[in-house]
Amino acid sequence: MDALTQFLGAFVNVCQPVSLLFMVAGVIIGIIFGSIPGLSAAMAVALILPLTFSMKAVMGMNMLVAVYIGGISGGLISAILLNMPGTASSIATCFDGHPMAMKGQAGKALHYGIVFSFIGSVFSFIVLTFFAPKMAAIALKFTPAENFGICFFALVMVAVLSSGDLLRGLLSGLFGLMFTQVGMAPIDGTIRFTFGNTNMMAGFDTLSTLIGIFAISEILITAEERYTGKTAQLIQMEEKTSIIGLTWDEFKVQIPNAIRSALIGLGIGILPGIGGSTSGMLSYVMAKKASKHPEKFGTGIPDGIVATETANNATIGGALIPLLVLGIPGDGVTAMMLGGFLIHGLSAGPLLFVKNADVVYGIFAACVVCITIMLLVESLGIRFFVKLLKIPKYILMPCILVLCCVGAYAANSRIFDVQSTILFGIIGYLYHKLGLKTTPFILCFLVGGMVETYLRRGIMQYKSFAAFFNRPIFDVFFFIAVAILIWSIYKESTGGRKVDED
Amino acid sequence: MFWKKYGDYVTSCFFILISIGMYMMAVALPKSKIMSIGPDFMPKLVSTVTGALAVLLLVKTIYKSRKNGSATAEESPEDCDYKKMLSSLILILIYVFIFQPAGFILATMLYLICQFIVLAPPPERTKKKIIGLVIIDVVFTLVVFYLFRYGFEIVLPAGLLSI
Repeated sequence: MDALTQFLGAFVNVCQPVSLLFMVAGVIIGIIFGSIPGLSAAMAVALILPLTFSMKAVMGMNMLVAVYIGGISGGLISAILLNMPGTASSIATCFDGHPMAMKGQAGKALHYGIVFSFIGSVFSFIVLTFFAPKMAAIALKFTPAENFGICFFALVMVAVLSSGDLLRGLLSGLFGLMFTQVGMAPIDGTIRFTFGNTNMMAGFDTLSTLIGIFAISEILITAEERYTGKTAQLIQMEEKTSIIGLTWDEFKVQIPNAIRSALIGLGIGILPGIGGSTSGMLSYVMAKKASKHPEKFGTGIPDGIVATETANNATIGGALIPLLVLGIPGDGVTAMMLGGFLIHGLSAGPLLFVKNADVVYGIFAACVVCITIMLLVESLGIRFFVKLLKIPKYILMPCILVLCCVGAYAANSRIFDVQSTILFGIIGYLYHKLGLKTTPFILCFLVGGMVETYLRRGIMQYKSFAAFFNRPIFDVFFFIAVAILIWSIYKESTGGRKVDED
Repeated sequence: MFWKKYGDYVTSCFFILISIGMYMMAVALPKSKIMSIGPDFMPKLVSTVTGALAVLLLVKTIYKSRKNGSATAEESPEDCDYKKMLSSLILILIYVFIFQPAGFILATMLYLICQFIVLAPPPERTKKKIIGLVIIDVVFTLVVFYLFRYGFEIVLPAGLLSI
């Protein structure tokens, strides 16, 4: 097997002490950026990029990969401990991770997240190593019609997410869709809903929205707690100390869930432009749908963490496929990596595998080493992460807010992004008060812009919406989505009646 | 229990209003000359669906409250410190608006100490503790500023203090 020998050769190269040292540093930097809400994986890669100028191509690439992997997986720490996703990819980790931590299983929740991050990454890198060119060929056949189908499918998942409270869930999501309409329209750049404010032309930044909805509203919610004299419930850590932290039985029951999530993550990663945040949420919803006890989701069960973390890490390998094989970046972070390739004189694309096979397999090997480092660093660091929560909330929360503002500002150096976080913070707070879920809002906000872009691009290409139905992949996604929607409405109407009768 | 009792009325009315507003603005958008759906399509679709669902929610809520009467009113009074919440919100608002003109260091130092004092439980507000908080405030602000400036090469607004 040619791929295997190349890979093993590269593996030996990567395991040189100097290169290992750089990768450990890269992973740690990534984890720090990933775990602070407001500082994203994309930002970490952007900051490390200039540092790799002076390194050799292989070394530079390894470092970038290390930061990327650390950044994506680091998000789970703050998601579980603080209920604030460190990066967009780990939004869905909050749903079950934080309740689990509140139940006194913070360590277990972190272990689940870390171990299954590792599994997700390993799975996606195996696929990446052996099937990258073939997978990319399939992804290349995707037209806007198929992408629209997938985005539409993701949107419909809102209905599943809000089952039991369908109407309000849908409204919550539609509000998110409204915010994606602000700014310049896709394709023709017509300016919409900016109220003459030039800052709003580019629309609302994803990072500001996330920070607002999760971090700022959390701070407001903390602030409204009346002081009663007794100390607030602190997140407790179990006494048990084993490095992996999961027993084989706990691990075994999650395997089907992990496989499904890994496939979803990989699939979404390969498609350019959809990204880890969507894959994590989509996989969470699918896990809920497939589970025998969907009502337990959101109350702190490991399944939710496993689904999200496996999927968002599988997305990394998925996203690297179009990047390496076709030179098409899947999201902001991989776009930055593409910049890194160019700086080192490597042009990503089909020829990369022919001309610079050593670098490509070097990257694959680096991925494998980095995820192992990630597993070790995070497993060892768990005690330290939980210690951070010993800082009183009234000191921790304002400090996080400052970091969030810095992160929102640093992304584009626009003060408007910082100010718009407040708007979303108030929305998040009001949602909390009204008992609306923020998840549909976030999912719609992330996917909404893409839905419109792909719809209009597709119609431009095929002239009419009816022509979309000639594409089989689109049909599959579209009709499954419609079926899910109808089924949810049906279930809601019958379920609602039952409640009324009671 | 204002939120529990009137929450759904507020939600539905808010969404009805915003969807009407959005639809009216969407009508004013130019139509596309080259394709069947222009920039006005999505906003119109979103606002129509929102409006319809919001009306449905309103009807459902009214129907429900007619049926249940005022049976839901007898719950424990809510225990929220709105004064603390509102003052935090105002502090955050002030912070983001002086972030640029006053500069990161001044704005953050000012915001952090005020926010610490607002959020701190009353027994922690002794003079000694506050001195401790001021030290945390100054150290944290400076560490973040210099870390970003020299470590990450992200220049935060300097404002009044031009360093």
